[in-house]
Amino acid sequence: MRMTPPDSAGTTTIVPRVETRPDGATTWMRSFEPAMLLWLLLIAILAFLVLSPMLRLVFASFEDRVTGAFTLANYAEAYGRPRYVQALFNSLALGASVAVIATLFAVPIAWAISRTDMPAKGFIRMVVLGAFIMPPYLGAVAWMLLAGPNSGWLNRIWIGLTGAETGLFNIYSFTGLAFVIAVYSYPYIFVFTNAALDLVSSEMEDAANILGAGTWRTTLNITLPLVFPAILGGIIVVFLEAISLFGTPALLALPARFNVVTTQLWQFFEFPVKVETAAAYSMPLLFITIGLFGLQKLILARKGFVALTGKGGERRLIRLGPWRWVMFAYCMFIGALSVFGPVIVLAQAAFARAWGRGFSWANLTLRNFEYLLFEHDSARQSIVNSFTYAGATAFIAIGLALCIAYIVNRRLVPWGGVLAFMCMAPFVIPGIVLAIGFYAAYAPPPLALSGTATIMILAFATRFLPIAYANSAAGIRSINPEMEEAVRILGGGRLLAIRRVVAPLLKKSLVGGWILVFIPATRELSAAIFLAGPHNRVMSVLLYDLSEEGNFEVLSAFGGLLLVATLIVVAIGFRAIGRDFMLRGN
Amino acid sequence: MPWGLVRVCQCLWLVAGLSWAEAATLTPNEAALYEAAKKEGEVTWYVGQFATDVAQQFGKNFTERYPGVKVNVYRATGQVVFQRLSQDMKAGVRQCDLFSSTDIGHSVYLKAQGQYLRYKPENAAGLIPAFQNIDPDGYYHTTQVNTVTILYNTDKVKPEEAPRKWTDLLDPKWKNKISLGHPGFSGTAGTWVLMMRELYGAGYMEKLAKNNPQAGRSLNDTITMLNAAERVVAAGPTATALRSIAKGNPMAIVYPEDGAVLQISVSAIVKDAPHPNAAKLFFEYLLSREHSVALAETYYELLRPDVDPAPGAKPMREFKIVQPTIEAIVKGIPEIKELWRDTIGN
Repeated sequence: MRMTPPDSAGTTTIVPRVETRPDGATTWMRSFEPAMLLWLLLIAILAFLVLSPMLRLVFASFEDRVTGAFTLANYAEAYGRPRYVQALFNSLALGASVAVIATLFAVPIAWAISRTDMPAKGFIRMVVLGAFIMPPYLGAVAWMLLAGPNSGWLNRIWIGLTGAETGLFNIYSFTGLAFVIAVYSYPYIFVFTNAALDLVSSEMEDAANILGAGTWRTTLNITLPLVFPAILGGIIVVFLEAISLFGTPALLALPARFNVVTTQLWQFFEFPVKVETAAAYSMPLLFITIGLFGLQKLILARKGFVALTGKGGERRLIRLGPWRWVMFAYCMFIGALSVFGPVIVLAQAAFARAWGRGFSWANLTLRNFEYLLFEHDSARQSIVNSFTYAGATAFIAIGLALCIAYIVNRRLVPWGGVLAFMCMAPFVIPGIVLAIGFYAAYAPPPLALSGTATIMILAFATRFLPIAYANSAAGIRSINPEMEEAVRILGGGRLLAIRRVVAPLLKKSLVGGWILVFIPATRELSAAIFLAGPHNRVMSVLLYDLSEEGNFEVLSAFGGLLLVATLIVVAIGFRAIGRDFMLRGN
Repeated sequence: MPWGLVRVCQCLWLVAGLSWAEAATLTPNEAALYEAAKKEGEVTWYVGQFATDVAQQFGKNFTERYPGVKVNVYRATGQVVFQRLSQDMKAGVRQCDLFSSTDIGHSVYLKAQGQYLRYKPENAAGLIPAFQNIDPDGYYHTTQVNTVTILYNTDKVKPEEAPRKWTDLLDPKWKNKISLGHPGFSGTAGTWVLMMRELYGAGYMEKLAKNNPQAGRSLNDTITMLNAAERVVAAGPTATALRSIAKGNPMAIVYPEDGAVLQISVSAIVKDAPHPNAAKLFFEYLLSREHSVALAETYYELLRPDVDPAPGAKPMREFKIVQPTIEAIVKGIPEIKELWRDTIGN
């Protein structure tokens, strides 16, 4: 998911709108009839996608499972057992640990790329992008192969080298879980920090230098504090990602025999299905998310931090001397943890008869792929599902977001802000909570969408609507309304203006937005796992189901297919809109 | 068209899809079901009783035998397929035709709730008597019998050191070395934990927890863990172990002195199944002699007396067996799931 850092220097062309907007009743009337209807339609769609599932969730948490009468019993059940409460604390501890580890990973890389003369920066950026597009649960599978306490590659090497009794690492542990999540979520902090560092001019660093501070002191006392709000924004996103992730904890915490909120939520869906208890239990997740974003806003509102004006100022790279190689080694080390190591072991397992037998010709086979593509009952179907659903999701999300962004930005209707707010609201709803809301609202009759493609696509579209909206809004803002006004002055209608002027100008940013929704939608698991049935399983869900029997070879092969498909899409994105579009700051 | 000609046409039509010999062996009921099933075209099977590849192979075997009727295999652990089915039912969605979990408690419950279609397959009469009439009312019938035994990795454990009975697993020498399935997911793992509680009391799980066992979800996961040498001993599924041994993996089975845990798993057709005739035909097939031959090849316990066991498989009469009653399972599994989560964790 691409995040919008708080300090983005706008690509926007801000034009005073007062002059370009004729006012008066006639304009109102002219834009009224279609626009007002459109507004109603859009608000209805948003109510269906965003409001209704969330309200349903809140109501369900107060409903008796059988009678539907008001009750607090669900809350009593959800928090009445030490085990359940423990899971809540485990999640909070997990979020905090992940945030710390991810910060240690991300900030040095961001600093080195943005401020120093470290070599091979382009390559390091690609590595960070690699960590970004690796689905976290696939990374978890890779780390099971790398750091399984007895059989993992790292432990076998350690035992082989030292003759020790036991391995060094145990991925099936709290630390292991926090580490694996951090390894795949640090790019969020990177994106935020890097974007902010790019805007800091060297003047203040120079001042510190003149006053006698060395490079390290300057960095720690001047540069990093300047971008602290950005780092904090990244940390919050990572914290929330960590506590709302389902796949990685399901793979690692279960064998380690502890619970977090998301795996506990899944348990409430065991027989008898306790949607109501799950709803009650998911409230803290919702409030923590909203609370943290509120906190972030509060901190950012203190303008004291703004040394980032977005204006010139000279930027010079810090010469690190021999230290540049140390920084490079550190970046490569993080790369090894997040991309190189995992990809190597996944590839080995995907082409192996038995991964434990290691690298040898005799162990090499295409059997796993053959099995998945030609024999497995639902693998092919799930691949088709993943990509059609993700495609449909991207079209719906971008289409909707674009309409709303246009209407809001051009102020075609009153109360446009409501629309914008509802588009961004899913941002603060963890995927797993959204899915439970969708399940509660639309799985039962009258809609009875359980197990259908529709519910999956709608849930995905809602989940990724904020990304689509942020993108579309930025795109629309960059188009000066004067051009449309010109069309209208010459007698063209608004639709003509949109078709012939706005759409062509937006093409590039639309493609970018489409891909930015498409990619996370192909690998979404936290929401999909609650909405999948036998016919609408997507790759991520099937991968999770496959992991039940622990068949790592098939699992790796399937993950490889997912990864290759994603890379193709990213490559298309690169061609269409230029490299780095996923890690771009604005 | 005269009646005789219709029959000839029907026969010819069947021949198009089947070999002559097979077409000739269709019983009238079977032929009628096949006709109706072909119109439905598919059957959706929620199954926790067989490993994924095995379940899919069975589906393909069926389609080979009855061309034109496809099997959608939805495979997950016993508790998870039940979870899906109850989600479907709660949401009023009809997707599942034949339901095959590994916890007979599910079937007792679903039958009592009126969620099952009563169907007594003709082929049920051919089962080993002990596996017949599990449900006196004939709603659900035995489709899989499996045992849980002690498994170990022969590269890491010498035969003389291997555990001989379930209580040997409590020996501290197996600390960090045991692999188990999770009763919250696997019905068979649940039956095993239940049996341990029955034999040795709740204290067994507490002591076992001290040995820090690793728990996958499916009981089949124990096989993977042993083959990868992540763990070296396991309470695991005999059939999957035998298949793994046949593939050349370094694994051996100990039939415990205090009894291999036997589990009888049943299937039933769901009421309002979207493809009832295909479901009936598939149900018949799962109890047929032809399918039992395929079962034997995959090392599951034989359901019928008229099929020979696979080479290497030890017939059940040659080792000691323990088995919880249906009543004990219905009452006990929900309890031991809690017991597990309180003692073993998660």
